[in-house]
Amino acid sequence: TMGDLHNDGPDKVTVENVEKAAERLAGHARETPVLTCGTLDALAGRKLFFKSENLQKSGSFKFRGAFNAISRLITSANQNPPPVVTHSSGNHACALALAAHQLGVTAHVVMPSTAPQCKKETVRGYGGNVIECVPTEQARVETMERIAQQEGAVYISSSQHPDVISGQGTMALELLRQVPDLDTVITPVGGGGMLAGVSLVMKALNPHIRVYGAEPELANDAATSLAQGKRCPLSYYPETIADGLRINMGPVAWPYIQEHVDDIICVTEDEIKNAMTLIWQRMKLVVEPSGVLGLAAVLSDSFKAREQEAKNVAIILSGGNLDLLKLPELLSL
Amino acid sequence: IERAAGTLSGHAVVTPVQTCETLDVLAGRKLFFKCENFQKSGSFKFRGAFNAVSELASGSGKSPHRPQIVTYSCGNFGCGLALAAKIQGATAHVVMPNNSAECKKQAVLSYGANLVLCERTPQGKATKLKQVQSETGAVLTSGGEHSDVMAGHGTMGLELLKQVPDLDAVIMPTSSGGMLAGVSTAIKSSRSEVRVFGAEPEMASATADSLRTGERRPLAEDPGSVADGLNGKLGALTWPYIRQNVDGVFTVSEDEIKNAMRLVWERMKLVVEPSGVVGVAAVLS
Repeated sequence: TMGDLHNDGPDKVTVENVEKAAERLAGHARETPVLTCGTLDALAGRKLFFKSENLQKSGSFKFRGAFNAISRLITSANQNPPPVVTHSSGNHACALALAAHQLGVTAHVVMPSTAPQCKKETVRGYGGNVIECVPTEQARVETMERIAQQEGAVYISSSQHPDVISGQGTMALELLRQVPDLDTVITPVGGGGMLAGVSLVMKALNPHIRVYGAEPELANDAATSLAQGKRCPLSYYPETIADGLRINMGPVAWPYIQEHVDDIICVTEDEIKNAMTLIWQRMKLVVEPSGVLGLAAVLSDSFKAREQEAKNVAIILSGGNLDLLKLPELLSL
Repeated sequence: IERAAGTLSGHAVVTPVQTCETLDVLAGRKLFFKCENFQKSGSFKFRGAFNAVSELASGSGKSPHRPQIVTYSCGNFGCGLALAAKIQGATAHVVMPNNSAECKKQAVLSYGANLVLCERTPQGKATKLKQVQSETGAVLTSGGEHSDVMAGHGTMGLELLKQVPDLDAVIMPTSSGGMLAGVSTAIKSSRSEVRVFGAEPEMASATADSLRTGERRPLAEDPGSVADGLNGKLGALTWPYIRQNVDGVFTVSEDEIKNAMRLVWERMKLVVEPSGVVGVAAVLS
């Protein structure tokens, strides 16, 4: 198991790393559009700017981190770059498989048996090799370590690799260009790669911008950690419809989140379903449950009570990979 | 159309053009999707509605009363008109078939328009329209049969010419013909070498049939395609523009429409209604 790491070593992610990542991603990852919706502005009582990473290559923001990490691996490999391996509930799996395919590298992906069918099919469609395991964090890690040894593959974590965190941070650079007078940013938080990358960039370039994470109440390890001042992972694999956020906030992402994030807002399952309905019906976007956490948080009573000043709020819609056939069940309140 | 673009500026969204490599591979060509599902009120119809209301309101500038407008709509034009009227301080009355999609009825109401449900028959429609007009003096604005509406829709053609470099063909769903008439006029006036196509359900192929015979052909009443917005008649006002400017109309089966919907939702992550994907279905046919 990985112990807690401190972030002041040579692996510390800086804005410069993120800017270099942006150069590597140019022409490969999409600079996704920022969309607005008058109805949601009225409901929130402020202007909302939705960074639509459901429209990113492979269907989620994770393509950014995966592409950056594999690019750096290829650059540092002397001859043939090694295969890559990861364990993922879906989005990082799809992202890694696509990025590897585009960069000419083999990808092995360990996925829980309960991962959405469309995610497994997508990984195979991108040329990735899927290895299924039982849906516990321990099984994911053990299976991945076995494959890494067997295939000589390099492990690319979905959220704890510095190059992955740098890649995710590129969204912050784009937001600073795309949203004039930005004062608040809110992102979902699972492993914490996105929140770590985005928060470190925002605070480095404009410390007045408030940065929030949004988490399901049922999977509130990041919120608890921030409140306690130490990382408090859950000892069980929580049930939430936000299937991409069941994973604990990881030890590499944690120091960045502790230093740069202003707060983490927790929302109920019903708040997530309500946000899903609003985004699908009013914005006409396919966004998965994990992806709507930011909107759920902005519409929550606790956000409205504490955030009087936030006027221009960027919300990252992190991805849109879900089984459409599960939609009625996901939206039933 | 250029004047309509000026009227719409700052009100209608200049919708983004999205791409998708998976669909390019399936189609064997580069596809550029103009996302009017992101338009105000959830469809391109807002463009024509807003332009028509604007022309009406400026025409009745001396009257102290709020302009009153009535329309018959299966949904999207009613929603577009309701929102356009709300923004411009006019009152919209929307006569809609009682079995229209619930979300379309709710949208009309949420924009503050007066919703009038009718039987989905020619008599039902006519009765309610006449009733509203006599009670309120509202001006009848058809979703298809109105030159201000066509001009508003045509603004999409102007945007596409700017947004898609080396554009060589445009394809769109068609029914009463307002979008096809407006967009084909915009495109052909500027770049006549760009091919312009319509796309229709096989079950509701009035435009394809009309182009083939050279004469405007009627449509069977309520053909019942899953593309519920395309069950309307090809209009007398739109037909001459279509006959002059359109290079062809493709027809697609119900299954092709459903398959295209699946692809757009799953691969492009866009919520698009069945009528909205008929152009995609045609390109993949």
